[in-house]
Amino acid sequence: MKEILVKINNPTGLHARPASILVKEAMKFKSNIYLIKNNKEYNAKSIMNVMAMGAAMGDEIRIKAEGEDEKEAINSLQKLLEDLKD
Amino acid sequence: MFGLFSKRQIEIKSPIKGKVIDLSQVPDEVFSSKMVGDGFAIDPKDNTIYSPVEGEIIQVFPTGHAIGIKTKEGLEILIHIGIDTVELKGKGFVTFVNEGDYVWIGDKLITFDLELIKNKAKSTIIPVLITNMEKVKEMNVNFIDAEEGDVIANVRLK
Repeated sequence: MKEILVKINNPTGLHARPASILVKEAMKFKSNIYLIKNNKEYNAKSIMNVMAMGAAMGDEIRIKAEGEDEKEAINSLQKLLEDLKD
Repeated sequence: MFGLFSKRQIEIKSPIKGKVIDLSQVPDEVFSSKMVGDGFAIDPKDNTIYSPVEGEIIQVFPTGHAIGIKTKEGLEILIHIGIDTVELKGKGFVTFVNEGDYVWIGDKLITFDLELIKNKAKSTIIPVLITNMEKVKEMNVNFIDAEEGDVIANVRLK
């Protein structure tokens, strides 16, 4: 199990567009991947879950992955979140 | 055993009175390009969302502008009220159900301030989406001027 803390830096936060990009990326991995905000876990492979999390700019969320490709999954999603622009 | 008795076809009713339009006409690429899911959209003529299916409330967005329902067949349906309405931060929305509630077709879910959305958000159009299309074999949408409760989509499951 791997876990990392990231800060949401894009102005609109994790709403529909960035959320769907993140879910598509998460789907590429076999690991179970969760995003954690305020101690509540959201499935990173469910668009509904990620949108409902409603992460806004400045929020800190944790990415947790469990599985054979957990390291790659964490690295890839961390980069994706840090690179979000809009 | 389950396969024998499970319903392979689901009707999605209109959650509100309004004109049913194609997702391609929604003024937000996230919805028009079907990134979030496939379904239809409604240009509302009322201010109350009723459940379009029977199922469990799986997501109530903290800002009240969207809600997710999972039917007993496992279909996940997202109702998103208006475009860019997340920016209203909950203003103008009242939610009548909680996560975990079981709802029947026609149960009242959310009311919203249509005038406020018209004035403050990008659009009042309401996308109604299946977010797990991998479960769907075929979907037919009736593009009609709908009353609340009219059958809008017939969904055949895999």
